[in-house]
Amino acid sequence: MSVFARIASKLAEDAWTLATTPVEAAREARYTVAAYRRGDISATQLLRTAVATTFAVLVVAVMLFPIYWIAMSAISASGGSIYAADGFRFVPKRTSIKPFVWVLGDLMIQPDTTIAVPFTDLSVVFDHPRIVFLDASDYGVESPSEFKRYFVNSVVVATVTVALGLSVIVPAAYALSRREFIMRRKILFGYVLFTQVGGGLGIAALIALYAIFVQAGLLNNKIALAAYYAATAVPFNTWLLKTYMDGIPVSYEEAALVDGAPPWRVVVEVILPLSAAGLATVTIFTFLAGWMEFVVAQLLLSSGNYTLPVGLFSLVEEYSIPWARFSAFALTFASPVMLVYLFAQRYIEGGLSFSGMEG
Amino acid sequence: MSTASRIADRAAEIPAVEREDVSLLLVLPGLFLFAAFMFFPMLYLIGISFTNARPANLFGGGSFLTFGEATFVGLRNYVAVLTDATFWNSVGVTWLFVATSLVGKVVLGLSIALVVTNDRVRGARFLRSLLIVPMGLPAIFTITVWRGIFSSARFGLANQLLAWLGVGTVAWLNERWAAFFAYNVTEMWLAYPFMVIITVSALQDVPDELHEAAMVDGASYLSRFFHVTLPSVKRPVLFASILTAAASFQQFLIPYVFNEGGPARLNELIIVYGYREAFQFSQYGQGAAIMLIAIAFIGAFMWLNVKKGKLADGVDEA
Repeated sequence: MSVFARIASKLAEDAWTLATTPVEAAREARYTVAAYRRGDISATQLLRTAVATTFAVLVVAVMLFPIYWIAMSAISASGGSIYAADGFRFVPKRTSIKPFVWVLGDLMIQPDTTIAVPFTDLSVVFDHPRIVFLDASDYGVESPSEFKRYFVNSVVVATVTVALGLSVIVPAAYALSRREFIMRRKILFGYVLFTQVGGGLGIAALIALYAIFVQAGLLNNKIALAAYYAATAVPFNTWLLKTYMDGIPVSYEEAALVDGAPPWRVVVEVILPLSAAGLATVTIFTFLAGWMEFVVAQLLLSSGNYTLPVGLFSLVEEYSIPWARFSAFALTFASPVMLVYLFAQRYIEGGLSFSGMEG
Repeated sequence: MSTASRIADRAAEIPAVEREDVSLLLVLPGLFLFAAFMFFPMLYLIGISFTNARPANLFGGGSFLTFGEATFVGLRNYVAVLTDATFWNSVGVTWLFVATSLVGKVVLGLSIALVVTNDRVRGARFLRSLLIVPMGLPAIFTITVWRGIFSSARFGLANQLLAWLGVGTVAWLNERWAAFFAYNVTEMWLAYPFMVIITVSALQDVPDELHEAAMVDGASYLSRFFHVTLPSVKRPVLFASILTAAASFQQFLIPYVFNEGGPARLNELIIVYGYREAFQFSQYGQGAAIMLIAIAFIGAFMWLNVKKGKLADGVDEA
């Protein structure tokens, strides 16, 4: 298994651990106390464990401190600055959800939704009053952020990236896994090599990419940007899905063939369902390629079409950064990723175990 | 066996028309997409590097995939770049950054991994899960946060730490080596989850028997570390180091977000240097030449590693 697969499986495993730890910890503490009372564990042993654990917790706390610090500043009421004049505090004096309200802005559905029926002059009108989920002015926020617009842009870009990416990745992964043809090993070798040299080459070729986009009139075009992201996602994800498909026993396919299924049905009804976990993993990685990228998006898009990472960085001013708003924006932006991990975790976990035998 | 079927068998053995080669068609769309956006721009970049391209002449005349009104200048861009002291400063700073940040990353990753795999630590799995949270956050966000940490203001987090230690404030991003140090700390922090994951799984693969045998022989913790642990994790850690060194070489966002490689262009890592040359000083030709030289460097570096370290191991499993 490669480094990347290992990392991804760790991520999934760890999400699960995070969720179940409190229960486990309570059980273990009770068990330890009982053992100590019975005299199975000596005081020195207990002390050494306590010291080692405390030290480890300290190490983790130090490493995660920047994140904690920024999360605190997102909810602190001092607003504009994290540099409190009276020095650093672990918990802000006053808290406020204003920055998050500022990020989200008004969440409401205007009264009487009208949906035009396509190809006719008719339209369906739903007669309802204004539905308000969140009214920013209730919280004293006058001009909320452009988060929703950037969010829509990002969703468009990421969706196209996934659709386009999967449509070329899946057939290629299948062919590389199951068929023997000319150039097969060369292509595979090229993909693996590119994966490991990394996307830095993308930035190196940025000048040419920019020139080509300008000349083709594709500057500020979200779909073209998504196509670029899909292209960058091809090598790693093709290889990953291929590795996953390698784990599906050929005998399943042979059984289907013996039963008289044509090749396309073998793929649709045997291979794809059995690779559901691998497909989910690849979908997430492709999605993230479009969701997280900053450098290229920043160069190619202009303000109306900004995706979330570019929108986030546009909050930064030359000499000052509105920390509370900045971090509220960033945390809201990162949350869908966490949600995706949470929901797809079962699949990722299966997808990276590279077995396929349970199916 | 009849002659006809023998001939049919023979025909089937002839590899000239391998029916399975049709499967190549399944791979081609992806390959084409990849080539169109990654490989082709690279070729175009080579073309640009031999011209005096600037936005004014490159985009004139509504041309596509030609060089517009830019003219061919031969190797002039390369000569200009290679005789420029700023360029060599950038190359030097980049390799120095690769070296220092790599040492930092390996030491940090190994230390954290040793701490959270210690037998005595309760809830180690939970701690390891927490440790890799930074991976889920967008890089542009965490790097901007680190820029805030290294703010030159008295109440920047780094300066508050210094004040707590009784040292005066530092104008982090306005002094060359202070800024360079800030880059390193940030790079180490960004890379540590990756290093910890690799190192932890390598450490877990070390057989307990080895440690027990060494303990029976009376080896101290340190000698066990150097003679048992380190040799066992050497290969995976080396592998991670190569990948992460390549990432450091191509680091763009940290210098760009912190102070655009400042002060006074002293800390421009090579990709930032090429980027600014092209997009801020409009020297597309020279920018392209710089990028290509950078690619040559990284290519040579990776080629050495592929030769020495079997980097493309994944293919052999195929």
